[in-house]
Amino acid sequence: MKLAELAEKLELKGVTRMFDREIGGVYSSDMVSDVIANAKAGDLLVTLQIHSNVIAAANLVDIAGIIVTQGKLPTDDVVKMAEKAEIPILSTDLSRWQIFTKLYEAGVR
Amino acid sequence: MTTQVARSRYQMVNVRPGHVIMEHDMLSRAVRSYFSDEPIPPVEEYREGKHIWHYAGMAQSFQFDVKDNQTGETVACREILGLLYYGCCKEDSVIRRIGELAHENRISVYIAITYEGADGRETVLAPEKLRVLNAMFNERLRTPSKKILILPDLFDLYKTMSYGEIMIDFGLTSMEEER
Repeated sequence: MKLAELAEKLELKGVTRMFDREIGGVYSSDMVSDVIANAKAGDLLVTLQIHSNVIAAANLVDIAGIIVTQGKLPTDDVVKMAEKAEIPILSTDLSRWQIFTKLYEAGVR
Repeated sequence: MTTQVARSRYQMVNVRPGHVIMEHDMLSRAVRSYFSDEPIPPVEEYREGKHIWHYAGMAQSFQFDVKDNQTGETVACREILGLLYYGCCKEDSVIRRIGELAHENRISVYIAITYEGADGRETVLAPEKLRVLNAMFNERLRTPSKKILILPDLFDLYKTMSYGEIMIDFGLTSMEEER
């Protein structure tokens, strides 16, 4: 599924501009080390973290996009970094549990 | 997922969660760090010759090895403290400028920062280990024409930069202000 299509279905707010990315799976973590060790290329990263190191890790493992939960928003410098790396960031006010449920219902497994 | 593992020659193995322990010596003012995978990381001060090392902080991190699925050989990467992304460096820094140039060719630059040795000097990462690291991370990519380039620390970054800038979990444990 395309990330843009998913964003529309789940009413996710775009924090960066959208890039044409295909989602292969979902990974959730707030730890950079865990993302580097275990996330797969094409995964959608669901996280609470908005630190620049998350973008560094996401870029290293070729994450398709990031959903930041619970209404958190990254700072402008993190947004710029993500856009430069062409990693879309989306935001939701929902909790991780709620967004996982919606992702599953939308067919993302 | 199975297809991706079958395609890859290099694989991250023996992933060990732990902590980077930072310590300093009051006498010489030296600072150093090391990795501990103990369930309760050591924080007591201790004497080592003339030095008395005091705990100065810790950050969650991990260590890993890289396995070559073709030869069966496993390369240990215990020297690596973390990877510094060029985009996390100051705008006027050498790394940032190199990274920006590389980015124009869809290459993302990371610097492999290593732990200090017992003498306080930087541990040098062997060229073969760098080659294997680059191979492994590039094999994981799926975005067409994207490349990762992991360079050794040729700029004495281990002396000048903060641990928060390196890709370990240091910065992620801090509280962020809500907007």
